[in-house]
Amino acid sequence: MTRSTPSRTAAGRGVAFSASPVLAVKLPAWRSRLVLFFLFIAFGALAARAFWLQAISTDFLQKQGESRYARTLEVPATRGKIMDRNGEVMATSLPVRAIEASPDDVQASKEQLQEFATLLGIGYGDLKKKLDSDRNFVYLKRQVDPELAKRILDLNIPGIRTSKEYKRSYPAGPAAAHLLGFTDYQDVGKEGIEYIQQKSLAGVTGSRRVIRDRQGRVVEDVEHLREPRDGKDLTLSIDNKIQYLAYTQLQQAVDKFNAKAGAIVVLDVKTGEVLAMVNMPTFNPNNRQGVDPSVMRNRVMTDTFEPGSTMKPFTIARALDKGLITPDTVIDTPPKLTMGPATIGDSHPHASSMTVTNIIGQSSNVGTVKIAQKLESHDMWDIFTAAGFGQQPRFGFPGAVAGRMKPYKSWRPIEQATISYGQGISVSLIQLARAYMMFARNGEMIPLSFQKLDRPPVAQRVLSERAARQMRLMMEKVVSSEGTAPFAQVRGYRIAGKTGTAYKVEGGQYVKKYVGSFVGLAPVSDPRIIIAVMIDEPTGPQHFGGQVAAPAFSNVAAGTLRLLNVAPDAPITNVILPAAPLTETM
Amino acid sequence: MNQRLIFPVLALLLLCALLLVNSQYQARRLFMELERTNMRQQANEIEWAQLQLEQSNLAKHARIDAMAKSTLAMQPPPASRTQYLTLGTP
Repeated sequence: MTRSTPSRTAAGRGVAFSASPVLAVKLPAWRSRLVLFFLFIAFGALAARAFWLQAISTDFLQKQGESRYARTLEVPATRGKIMDRNGEVMATSLPVRAIEASPDDVQASKEQLQEFATLLGIGYGDLKKKLDSDRNFVYLKRQVDPELAKRILDLNIPGIRTSKEYKRSYPAGPAAAHLLGFTDYQDVGKEGIEYIQQKSLAGVTGSRRVIRDRQGRVVEDVEHLREPRDGKDLTLSIDNKIQYLAYTQLQQAVDKFNAKAGAIVVLDVKTGEVLAMVNMPTFNPNNRQGVDPSVMRNRVMTDTFEPGSTMKPFTIARALDKGLITPDTVIDTPPKLTMGPATIGDSHPHASSMTVTNIIGQSSNVGTVKIAQKLESHDMWDIFTAAGFGQQPRFGFPGAVAGRMKPYKSWRPIEQATISYGQGISVSLIQLARAYMMFARNGEMIPLSFQKLDRPPVAQRVLSERAARQMRLMMEKVVSSEGTAPFAQVRGYRIAGKTGTAYKVEGGQYVKKYVGSFVGLAPVSDPRIIIAVMIDEPTGPQHFGGQVAAPAFSNVAAGTLRLLNVAPDAPITNVILPAAPLTETM
Repeated sequence: MNQRLIFPVLALLLLCALLLVNSQYQARRLFMELERTNMRQQANEIEWAQLQLEQSNLAKHARIDAMAKSTLAMQPPPASRTQYLTLGTP
């Protein structure tokens, strides 16, 4: 702008702005003050409002805000897997969905509902009935595959929701059903290992607060309220292959002898680990609908029976240990032994005197009682207690029993006599199997374990090594062609064992029902496994332990020894079967 | 003095503000990525469990046993046809 350019403004004409005649209007001073005052009032109101929002009602507002975008999310934790000793999965949890409905909110066309019913796999009528219920929440179907659940949600029926749950799968199915047990819909263990190890298997659900955006995506972590903790995986001592082998053999034996039930336990002698534990009858843990609860009982743990002759080795071992007899001592064995009103006899004729070895081999009651009479009652009590009879096994299996053994002070002579050959005392199969540890481990007992161990547990000596070895050699005679269990022989391996056959007790009375059992160890030169077989109520013509339980033992032992890579300790021509095997005394 | 300092400080302030915006953006972006990765990890874990289960199911002894016997017509070797090799013996 140069002065040469004429300006049209007053200032341009050299008149000061404040002196502009336009402004020369005389206004009262209070008007500007009033405007100023209102402006201050307005600012004051803003300040007050700001103070109100920021300081006074801030908590309320923050809460309101948070409730619109902050959410507490559950962080799921999965239940631990159960694996066998070789890392094969025996139980695992997979997420599935439950289909739920709020019947009042459900609005759908008939076609939609029909399609829905087809997807659910239920009839249209059933679905309609469920949706007509008065309750405001119903489960339509549980444990639904996630993909199917997604297809159901895609139908977009209002009032139908899904929620997350877990399904436990057991690949081994019926073969390990009793051992593993099962979980309920909430993934809580109800039986077997699942129940015992619930604490360590169960995961702890975590939770965290997050901020979500409009589309529901998590955009910021506010805080971790609780860290989730996944359940610990569990490695069992069980060998899946041996478990399956035992299962098939037991199934065959139970079918063949038309038995009511049966059980097999396989133990590792070196470590005390349980390699297999099977029960018949069994059930499918993957689908338990309509299964009779009695079938779910783990008979190895919960059922006791009178062991019968499988007890004889303990009585005789005690006498050997005390030096009262040697394997070659000759004992008078009359055909019948009368004690007061009772008579003890043997089921088959035998010589009027027998060596201790033959008494075991031919399972003579009379001979065993004669030896028991040389012992004090507390001697027998001591060895039975050391073997674990009458004591609760410490595994925590639901319903595990201690068995029945009267205190020795109240034994009458006849009781001491019958207990010496396994009547008047009751044991569970797991107790019986473990008790044979003392013979397999040269006089030592070790605790059993269902979990894989890093090192063997501490052993406790209960019998002299000499007595245990002598007992093993005598029990080898049981499976010879002159013994009661030639069918227990295994090609290439020396086997020692003992048969047992006992009448069942029902309502305090012996009834004409049998429990046939066989407990054996192999190989005799350096035992690696103990196998106990129990066949409950075989109803065919055969019911002796040597007939019904020994063949199953032989098959399981042959397979297990091969699987464990145990070197044979006998020529493969060692199996000699007699024309008519000896039946054992009851 | 004061007049001259005000512009650099203003520029610095502006820079800081922009950096803050940027780092907030980066934080959000990384967080989203973390979330996605976590989700993927979970999905992978589930898939792994499923595959493990499938493996167990396919390698089930019952199944192998049945297939070996029926489709392949196999049978366990009898002891008479088994030769044991012992370490240390010629």
